[in-house]
Amino acid sequence: MNQVGSVGLIASLAFAAYALVAGAVGGKLRSPRITRSAERATWGFFLMVTLAVVALEYMILTNDFHNAYVAEHSNRDLLTYYKVAALWAGQEGSLLFWTWLLSIYSALVVWQNRRKNRQLMPYVVSVLMGVGTFFSLLVFFVANPFQELSLVTSTGSQAFSAPDGNGLNPLLQYHSMVIHPPMLYLGYVGMVVPFAFAMAALITRQLGDNWIRTTRRWTMVPWMLLGCGILLGGNWAYAVLGWGGYWGWDPVENASLLPWLSGTAFLHSVMIQEKRGMLKVWNVALVILTFFLSIFGTFLTRSGIVSSVHAFAQSNIGPFFAVFLAIILFFSVTLLFLRLDHLKSEHKLDSMVSRESGFLFNNWILLALVFAVFWGTLFPVISKAVENATVTVGAPFFNKVAIPMGLLLLLLTGAGPLLAWRKTSFRSLKRNFTLPLIVALVAGGTMFAEGVRNLYAWMTLFLSVFVLVCILGEFWKGARTRMRTAKENFALAIYNLTMRNTRRYGGYIVHIGIVLLFIGFAGQAFKTDAKGLMQEGDLLTVKNYMLRCDGLITGDNPNYEYTRALITVTKNGEAFTSMHPEKRFYKASQQPTSYVAIHPTLSEDLYAVLAGMDPDTGKAIIQVFVNPLVMWVWIGGVVTLLGTLLALVPSRVEREMAEMRQAQELAVQAGDAY
Amino acid sequence: MTSDKQKKSSDEWHVMSDKQKSPNFGVRSPMSQVGFAHRSSLVTRHYSCHFARQSSLTTRHCFFWFGVLAASLLAASVARGDGPRKPTLEAIGNEVQCTCGCNAPLNQCPHLDCAQKAEMQAFLKKEIAEGKDETAILQDLSLRYGVQVLSTPPAHGFNLAIWILPGVGLLVGLGIVMVIVRRWKRKPAGAPAPTFAANDPKILTAVEEEMKSTGLG
Repeated sequence: MNQVGSVGLIASLAFAAYALVAGAVGGKLRSPRITRSAERATWGFFLMVTLAVVALEYMILTNDFHNAYVAEHSNRDLLTYYKVAALWAGQEGSLLFWTWLLSIYSALVVWQNRRKNRQLMPYVVSVLMGVGTFFSLLVFFVANPFQELSLVTSTGSQAFSAPDGNGLNPLLQYHSMVIHPPMLYLGYVGMVVPFAFAMAALITRQLGDNWIRTTRRWTMVPWMLLGCGILLGGNWAYAVLGWGGYWGWDPVENASLLPWLSGTAFLHSVMIQEKRGMLKVWNVALVILTFFLSIFGTFLTRSGIVSSVHAFAQSNIGPFFAVFLAIILFFSVTLLFLRLDHLKSEHKLDSMVSRESGFLFNNWILLALVFAVFWGTLFPVISKAVENATVTVGAPFFNKVAIPMGLLLLLLTGAGPLLAWRKTSFRSLKRNFTLPLIVALVAGGTMFAEGVRNLYAWMTLFLSVFVLVCILGEFWKGARTRMRTAKENFALAIYNLTMRNTRRYGGYIVHIGIVLLFIGFAGQAFKTDAKGLMQEGDLLTVKNYMLRCDGLITGDNPNYEYTRALITVTKNGEAFTSMHPEKRFYKASQQPTSYVAIHPTLSEDLYAVLAGMDPDTGKAIIQVFVNPLVMWVWIGGVVTLLGTLLALVPSRVEREMAEMRQAQELAVQAGDAY
Repeated sequence: MTSDKQKKSSDEWHVMSDKQKSPNFGVRSPMSQVGFAHRSSLVTRHYSCHFARQSSLTTRHCFFWFGVLAASLLAASVARGDGPRKPTLEAIGNEVQCTCGCNAPLNQCPHLDCAQKAEMQAFLKKEIAEGKDETAILQDLSLRYGVQVLSTPPAHGFNLAIWILPGVGLLVGLGIVMVIVRRWKRKPAGAPAPTFAANDPKILTAVEEEMKSTGLG
């Protein structure tokens, strides 16, 4: 199968290189024939990369340890779904996976635009396949997953098959790790589509709203998937790493956050261009930045330029990525400067108290946050280059910088949507914000009286209440009007209101999701923990929980050996739950890891870790955390996902407009026929 | 006309009622929707003169207060010390990195049997038992394990850049936003509506040429 995979790779490289050139030539010569040929080559690229992926998966699933990658990242007793996930567990496989996702996106773009955007498509294909060519080159020449395992002897090297593989990294053997990297990669890779359309629009000088309308959904989908990937990564860190948290400002975590933040800025500023024909240069710049940061994220994760708890593969691919990033930046920024004359704003700003200004502030803070996180992440590398000093930039720096900016963004989450386009009168401001402010002040006072003294946590909860009342008020006002005018009941009014403008109300739901995330973040301020040595009969108290160890059992399965603590928990003296944290020792990789026991509730999680065995007493070292409000982080993520999905559904107004456009086109065609 | 109005969606109604109560001149003004577009534009011009006098003040206020809010929050956050506190293994464990190569704070090292973590914790326990304060302990730790053990680099020399540049970035961003806004606002209020690309004589000539070349002209 190694040969089959290699054939797939070399053929995919040929197809990508051909489509890159043919797309550009087809666009330049305005030749539909050459353009179609480039599009067919894109399909060929997809099929050939798929062949390579199937070949590698086949070898992993059939335990073909002739292949070096399979021997390194899988073993016979690995569960099947972890074997599937071994595809992206190492450097070579994950780059192949990246290329495969790119080929899927490219094929979808070609299929979706087979009859529209015909002037843009040659260059769209060319840009997509330019990226495809780079990754194919990388996978084939630098990080090829189809290398045979060889044994070096005095007579030379010879191929051989290992009896069993090294197995998957134990830290990756967790259910959310099966889906977290694909989500993250779908997010990273998906950002190539808006970039390709932006470049095509710049090349063809078609810089109206068309490319914006076409790419809006193509941006929302990867933005949503990237967000899901980030949260799933947090969920993995929370459940596997055993330190009681889900976000540690690790360089790889930061790398995934950066394109998400700049993508968020783009999804907001693009509305100004659609509604008012403004911020055209800015939008192109944001698309370029988002794509750049996506590739940068992949580079950071895979190059080993910074050390990270999440970087499971490092190699010497850094220089290749650095050159590619430089090419992207040079090509796109030059093109942007050459087309500045075509990107003039169509309207003037009427007032600073307007939706436009809300978006400007939002973009300003988001981009300042992107810069701060980027700077903090790369500072150790810069410090090493400038001063030859090894320094660390960890969570304390990022918390100090990001929390105030996050609070401002939270404020804008509620205030922005209530500002009218062009100008908002003082009377309107008063009418819209009085009730939310009063409710937030009452809630803030209550929280203070209840003992919330942490300033950031208090501000987060205060602003969360303010934003929730603002957004729910928008739903209520719309529904009330429908109930009065269309005589609908409340539920129907909310449904019709939402479906009539899915983008607006989907966006509101996304904002509610963000508020819930912030509520979850605020809970970190009230985290408590305890640690103790336990054996049968020992007690450990944390907050109002009492943990009693009922014994320690050991066991064995083909994949790992384990020691499990049996713990019974009472809360305020009443039976609450039982927990079974484990310490595992994976046989193939000879590595220990923890399996955390979590009892989640809406108010707080009880989180128990079997950290190890005390060598002196033989007792289990049990660490217990009480993590308030963590559940709201996951709920917030789900609500954000649902809101984004809703915003992706075409609204009734949009459908009516599309039907009208179609009817007009038919009428024109009928006229032409006469 | 009334029945047409009743058919409008509630969110449009919401927009309309907002605009009827206040002089808000959105693109979809209610008057233009019911056939008073000309009158609406006259009113717009009248009120835009009125608001032109107020808007510069509003702009300055808006920028000023939001800028002050952003800068103060950031400055307060960066300058905010945790105050004098009794050093604990838990508190210092969040301020220093484990040296095992996991790139995680000491408290968050994912390796269960981490020898470096155990050694560092033993050192910390000894320092705490000796009654040293947090600053002295962090200094001793950086002398023993190197400055990279600290979660944030000490604020002197080149390392100051780590703290200064995010603030500079925020201010530069504000400057860019202000330049954008000034350029937008400098456009004359009575500027003609943007012409469609198809009305551009250059584009029309190009279209005609292309139609001829493809046999359509």
